Amino acid sequence: MTTTSIERNEAGAPLISVRDLSVSYDVARTGKRLTAIEGVDLDVHEGEFITVLGPSGCGKTTFMNVVAGLVKPTTGTVLVGGSPVTGPGPDRAVVFQDYALLPWRTVFDNVKFGLEMQKELKGAGWRERVQEAIELVGLAGFEQSYPRELSGGMQQRVGLARAIVAEPRILLMDEPLGAVDALTREVMRDEIEKLMAATGKTVLFITHSIEEAILLGDRIVVFKSHPGAIKEIIETGLERPRSERSIQHDPRFLELRDHLWDALQGEATAAAVSK
Amino acid sequence: MTVTSATGTMRIVRPRRVIRRSEAKWTWLLVGVIAAILLIWEAAVSWLQLIPASFLPPPTAIAVSFGKLLVDPEFWAAFGYSLGNVAIGLVIAVVVGVTVGLAVGWSPVLRFTVAPFLWLLYSTPKVALAPLFILGLGLGSESKIALVFLLAVFPIILNTMEGAVTVSTSLVNAGRVYGVNGVALGWKIIVPATLPYSLSGIQRGAALGFTGEVLGEFLGGTGGLGHMLEYAAYQFQMDDAIAMVIVMVIIANLTLLLISTLRRRLAPWYDDRKIAGAS
Repeated sequence: MTTTSIERNEAGAPLISVRDLSVSYDVARTGKRLTAIEGVDLDVHEGEFITVLGPSGCGKTTFMNVVAGLVKPTTGTVLVGGSPVTGPGPDRAVVFQDYALLPWRTVFDNVKFGLEMQKELKGAGWRERVQEAIELVGLAGFEQSYPRELSGGMQQRVGLARAIVAEPRILLMDEPLGAVDALTREVMRDEIEKLMAATGKTVLFITHSIEEAILLGDRIVVFKSHPGAIKEIIETGLERPRSERSIQHDPRFLELRDHLWDALQGEATAAAVSK
Repeated sequence: MTVTSATGTMRIVRPRRVIRRSEAKWTWLLVGVIAAILLIWEAAVSWLQLIPASFLPPPTAIAVSFGKLLVDPEFWAAFGYSLGNVAIGLVIAVVVGVTVGLAVGWSPVLRFTVAPFLWLLYSTPKVALAPLFILGLGLGSESKIALVFLLAVFPIILNTMEGAVTVSTSLVNAGRVYGVNGVALGWKIIVPATLPYSLSGIQRGAALGFTGEVLGEFLGGTGGLGHMLEYAAYQFQMDDAIAMVIVMVIIANLTLLLISTLRRRLAPWYDDRKIAGAS
């Protein structure tokens, strides 16, 4: 089904519209064709926070990369704001799992990187914007530090500041807290929740942590593997603002957690066996 | 895409080097060992006369020759000649080496077609080609510059190539996401990420290039430090000859020091130990 359906018009056109998306590629080593994701359909509306949950290797990163414009779909379409994605664009910013900061640049210059290729943003006031983004993620005072001088959590804050500095409509986060230590991760989850609620951005957040998916998401998209595809989509229906502590004993949270545990348990076992 | 993320190497941030307080102790030990060797040498030659001084002059005689060299205008002329050739050869090698290395490292097509030949050439004993260069380019500077270039260019190409190949995929993706494309991708991501590798190659290239210069002068030259050394050796002025060798050792080490300082200045973000594999 490559034609975009119009049923959703009453709810306003979705900001991101994915139809029958598949990505496959040849694996040079084995000569086989590998299907990373297959038949993915998803609509994301402006301001929604979508968490994408699944075991490693289920193609959730591939999915995000297609939306980011880094990977071309084999079949199917991805529309952002109504027009097909042909490559990366200033309407979408990415936060990478391994931070992907430029080690030869200071924090300030790394954040500046987020807007330096956009001519209209390089006019007067760009310094203030960079400074503002740095302060928003709590890195004031570290402007002249180099990434290697910062902890993992702080490096990811730089990654976050770089993503929001140009004020994209969509933020794509690929397991942004995956490489961060456990304590920092919990603090940063809450901060991301607050930050995104305040800015009202549309977010696609990849994770393999059930708690993270529930805490942050308006909807949780559960992926299954072999081939990667959407297994189910769940509305969390939890009140905002949320925090790690406030939802811990919420019955809805517990219910969701149990449900997702069961869903993922099977997936993880299947993934482990097929390897 | 999972293909790209599978090859994306994640760098582990290592703690910065701990201040080495104990290293001063080792420096003193080294000085002591050298002093002891010089003392034994002096004793064996001058006092016990176990070795004829005409074969192996004592350290004191070498020191005197060394002092004389430093005030000899002929020496400084030779010094300028040799270093001039090395500098010209190296500059050409850096320009060619970095350009070729980046091109081959960045383009998969070139990597599969050209790189095997580069490795082949790298492992060829190029020193054996020195007489050909002298025959072809004459006894003057040209043949020496060509030798310096030939010896220096391969480590620069191969290190740069290695650097360009290993640029992390997520850095390139970050560049693309934030609108960096084509040539800008090269300037803003590939070149800075490769720089420490290139500098490491240049360091090796400089050392090899200097060897090339001296060798060229040995085999057929009209001036330079190698030529002077050869002359002294033929005259059986062993003290002069050894003093010349010491000069060369000093020059080579100063060059290495200069480049490693440069590397720390230009690429302070890079840990030296990470590029060990590429050299």
